[in-house]
Amino acid sequence: MTAGEEVLAVKGLNVSYGESKVLFDVDLRVRPNQVVACVGRNGAGKTTLLKSIAGLLKPLAGSIMSGQINLVGRKSYEIAKMGFKYVPQDKKVFSDLTVRENLELGSYATRDYNWDRVTDYFPKLKLLMDRKAGYLSGGERQMLMIGRALLGSPKVLLIDEPTEGLAPSIVSHLKHIFGELSKNAALVLVEQNLPLVCAISDKVYAIKEGRIVAELADRNSIKADVCERYL
Amino acid sequence: MMKAFQWWWGLLLAFSLLALSRVFLPLPFVIEVVIFSIYTMGCSFLLGRVGFISFGQPAYLAVGAYATASYLFYFGTNPYIGILLGVLAGLTISFIVGPLFVRLRSDYFAMVNLALAVIVFYLTQKVLAGITHGDNGLWFLTTIASTPVLDLSRPSDFFIFAFMVALAVWAFYKYLDDSVYGACCLATKINEDKFKFLGYSNFNIRLLAFVIANTTTALAGAMYAVYLGFVSPEISSPSRAADPVIVTILGGAGTLYGPIFGAFAYTGMKDVISKLIGNWELLIGFFLVLIMLAGEKGIWGTLQPWLEKRLFRKAPALKTTDTSTDGRGARR
Repeated sequence: MTAGEEVLAVKGLNVSYGESKVLFDVDLRVRPNQVVACVGRNGAGKTTLLKSIAGLLKPLAGSIMSGQINLVGRKSYEIAKMGFKYVPQDKKVFSDLTVRENLELGSYATRDYNWDRVTDYFPKLKLLMDRKAGYLSGGERQMLMIGRALLGSPKVLLIDEPTEGLAPSIVSHLKHIFGELSKNAALVLVEQNLPLVCAISDKVYAIKEGRIVAELADRNSIKADVCERYL
Repeated sequence: MMKAFQWWWGLLLAFSLLALSRVFLPLPFVIEVVIFSIYTMGCSFLLGRVGFISFGQPAYLAVGAYATASYLFYFGTNPYIGILLGVLAGLTISFIVGPLFVRLRSDYFAMVNLALAVIVFYLTQKVLAGITHGDNGLWFLTTIASTPVLDLSRPSDFFIFAFMVALAVWAFYKYLDDSVYGACCLATKINEDKFKFLGYSNFNIRLLAFVIANTTTALAGAMYAVYLGFVSPEISSPSRAADPVIVTILGGAGTLYGPIFGAFAYTGMKDVISKLIGNWELLIGFFLVLIMLAGEKGIWGTLQPWLEKRLFRKAPALKTTDTSTDGRGARR
């Protein structure tokens, strides 16, 4: 991959759930260290887009390229190993495992045992190492999931609705964290929190009924009132 | 030091009780408990850690038993070599059927394993009767050679051997439980989709668990063969398919010490009650229902918190929260 080349390029993506088509000719481009947000109403197809990139759904047509490599048809664990880490929306961690064991799973898969980076971003996790993940609050779970995804220095973090249901103080913390994370990886966020989107995004895709209806690539144009039209 | 002791106290307790039981209880009973607990260990691991219920364990038990029996009947006399061949046979069959079976959902997995048990039963009873001698079975008790140090043809020596093998198997499963692989097994059981996002193949994790569990079962089969000096198709009878599952649940699925408590309770009930009444299975059925209604975590799952509370009442004061975040110190 040469400098300036997209770390992720989705082209003409069509995805369906059985007979029901959800995404129509979606194009999306992400450069290294870019924060890209996808906004849209519930059911617009944002999560489907992330799941397709993560390899959980098989597209009907289109390509998902990382450099010269097409991710379509690859298994989700292979895609994760290639540096595309998906943090799903539902905040379901491995509840019977402790925080330490959850992080160990991330370390073992990537052979990255340096947890200092994770605990630098989320110091609270240090105090929760021996607690079962099932007993964490929503915010702590989100920290754990993002922290675990950071192991192995991913190329792209695909984060689905990270602030949903979280307290404003935690959202503010995550906003700062996402800014820091983008120094080392590209972020693709599905998010409905427009102040957050406007504060950190380099590019915004508005999705409506499975189609990209707007692409705001200029930071000056990424404003809450502009994005709000698509919600 | 305290922590290490807490890790192993259950194992020490279980094995001390087992060793002690040798003094008070008949030797055949204790040997059966030891072998049955090895038999159940694999089933407990599959059910408790990976979430797979298997009604096909008699098939793997029979593969181990018949491999050992065939060697001792047709080719040699050394029981150690026989047991080794039984384990290798279990390993081989697990690698052959594992890739097909572990792709299935848990309910289909249970059924396809039961089907395998039926196939093995009819193979040993009818199709391969020329080799297995059908219902007459293979009888080789008198051909087992005496071996130095531990003479497995003597029940008292066999007990020591079985005891050491069981200890090694339990130590191995304890190691697995505490390893990252153990956490991987639990993670694939809890949420297989999210596990994939971390870069793991559910298939590989499950296949390894399947091979480990069924090789353990084959080891138990090989030990049954040497101990009894006789193997018949009855060992793979589908009517006994639920036995290891019952013992697993009775002892506490996925718990390390559950199989030994389950095997002890089940074998004990069977032995005691069958001497008193004819239709003993019926009464055992009622007992099992009562025990499971009383504590769905099984015997060990119910006892463990109670014992910990009493034996380690002061332990929390000694505990410190380890806030070490150096992943290099993590289990690998």
